[in-house]
Amino acid sequence: MAEQSLVVRGLNVAYGESKVLFDIDFDVAPNQIVCCVGRNGAGKTTLLKSIAGFLKPSSGAATAGGVNLIGHRPYDVARMGVKYVPQDKKVFSDLTVRENLELGSYATKDYNWDRVMEYFPKLKILLDRKAGFLSGGERQMLMIGRATLGNPKVMLIDEPTEGLAPSIVTHLKYVFGELSKSAALVIVEQNLPLVCGIAHKVYAMRDGRIVAELPGGAALTPAACEPYL
Amino acid sequence: MVNAFKWWWGILLAFGMLAAARFFLPLPFVNEVLIFSIYTIGCSFLLGRVGFISFGQPAYLAFGAYGTAFYLFYVGTNPYVGILAGVACGFICASIVGPLFVRLRSDYFALVNLALAVIVFYMMQKVLAEYTKGDNGLWFLTNIASTPVLNLGRSSEFFIFATLVAIAVWGLYKYLDDTIFGACCLATKINEAKLQFLGYSNYKVRLLAFIVANTTTALAGALYAVYLGSVSPEITAAARAADPVVVTILGGVGTLFGPLVGTLAYTALRDVLSKFIGNWELFVGFILVFIMLAGEKGLWGSAAPWLQKLFSRGKAADAMGGERR
Repeated sequence: MAEQSLVVRGLNVAYGESKVLFDIDFDVAPNQIVCCVGRNGAGKTTLLKSIAGFLKPSSGAATAGGVNLIGHRPYDVARMGVKYVPQDKKVFSDLTVRENLELGSYATKDYNWDRVMEYFPKLKILLDRKAGFLSGGERQMLMIGRATLGNPKVMLIDEPTEGLAPSIVTHLKYVFGELSKSAALVIVEQNLPLVCGIAHKVYAMRDGRIVAELPGGAALTPAACEPYL
Repeated sequence: MVNAFKWWWGILLAFGMLAAARFFLPLPFVNEVLIFSIYTIGCSFLLGRVGFISFGQPAYLAFGAYGTAFYLFYVGTNPYVGILAGVACGFICASIVGPLFVRLRSDYFALVNLALAVIVFYMMQKVLAEYTKGDNGLWFLTNIASTPVLNLGRSSEFFIFATLVAIAVWGLYKYLDDTIFGACCLATKINEAKLQFLGYSNYKVRLLAFIVANTTTALAGALYAVYLGSVSPEITAAARAADPVVVTILGGVGTLFGPLVGTLAYTALRDVLSKFIGNWELFVGFILVFIMLAGEKGLWGSAAPWLQKLFSRGKAADAMGGERR
């Protein structure tokens, strides 16, 4: 069996006394797109934040390419090639698009923006605009584009299409397909048509637990995911 | 090259104007503006770029001033070496307290720095009085040796030296603003968590900014020591702790020329207004309230867009004239 890009075993996370994730197990193979669906408060964002190093699990393990991620600080996890794209679309508003990308480049020593511009050509004409003046879709492009610098092994993307126009969602679907050629993607998403269109595997979450694992392909339909939302 | 000229000309123009002002303004006033603006730029960088408000800047000023004073009083006579000793002292002290202080949130950061200023004040006044001569301070004006090229013992030559130092400091801060480090500082102020997603340690960014800013403050302290020829604990009095913050807000937080404009305004108010009105600080208070209510941009922050518009209109008119010709 080929080495998995991301392996999570028995992950338990609590906010103080309140336990929010219970014995989470999942695997993401290289070049695979795995989606997490579930109602608000199911623990999807907490799961991504725990893997990215923002929350310290009370127990369990998470490895990327065989390297342990637990106990490391978020910037170390990012340097290990696991990039987290949060859902709030907050960019560094006082910096220009160029400066935002430069921050990504300097941290990863990857100064080749060709791939970013290929995925998001619109960023090319926005390079000198303050990121605070970008629309929601443009901010999402910038955040995903910036995260692709340094060719990450795993990308954790939280609700990327929330509040975006259908045309941008369609474009992001294409981009996720392209990104999966070089990285494994874990996407938290509520847009079921998109999930069914891109996912190789879907984990459904409820009350901090994975309650179902649905295989991708023709069998995966919005109706199959609906009961978990 | 063109880009380098674009920003260098601004700095050279600003300090060129200040140098020209030396011919119709009293020399002590201009020297005070130069040193105080260097004192303020560190505070402005911390507040405007990193989001740290510090009421402990007098402590770092004192580290620089006493570093220089100890050298010139006890060890040697060369003022340049004295200034280097002051800067080194400030750098070492900032490197020692920095790792502890930058972990704190901005409000606690402000208070812990104020506490440091109080501690340094009592250290210099009481605990180390045997070496610092307590409230009398260290007097070493006659110890300062004449130096070739620029004799810092003479006010007029000190002015040239201070101008050159100020230009170098402004050049350094402009350079920092334009580097990834400057962007990281701003990013950590805007959203510290997001910076970590990219692989940066907020702690390291803040620590570096803290050390750079407070070493600059120590440089101002060293310049004060050489200029005045004496240092007393009064330099780190808690009553004056808010001065650099006030000047920073007056000039415009986070702007390159804000500290210079703020210092000019503040020093002018203090030196001119105080001759006519006893409680001149009252006017500074009203001006600060007005600035806050008017959008927190400060004098330079408000004037800069107007000047930019004026300048670009002039350039557009030139271009049109050129086309007509």
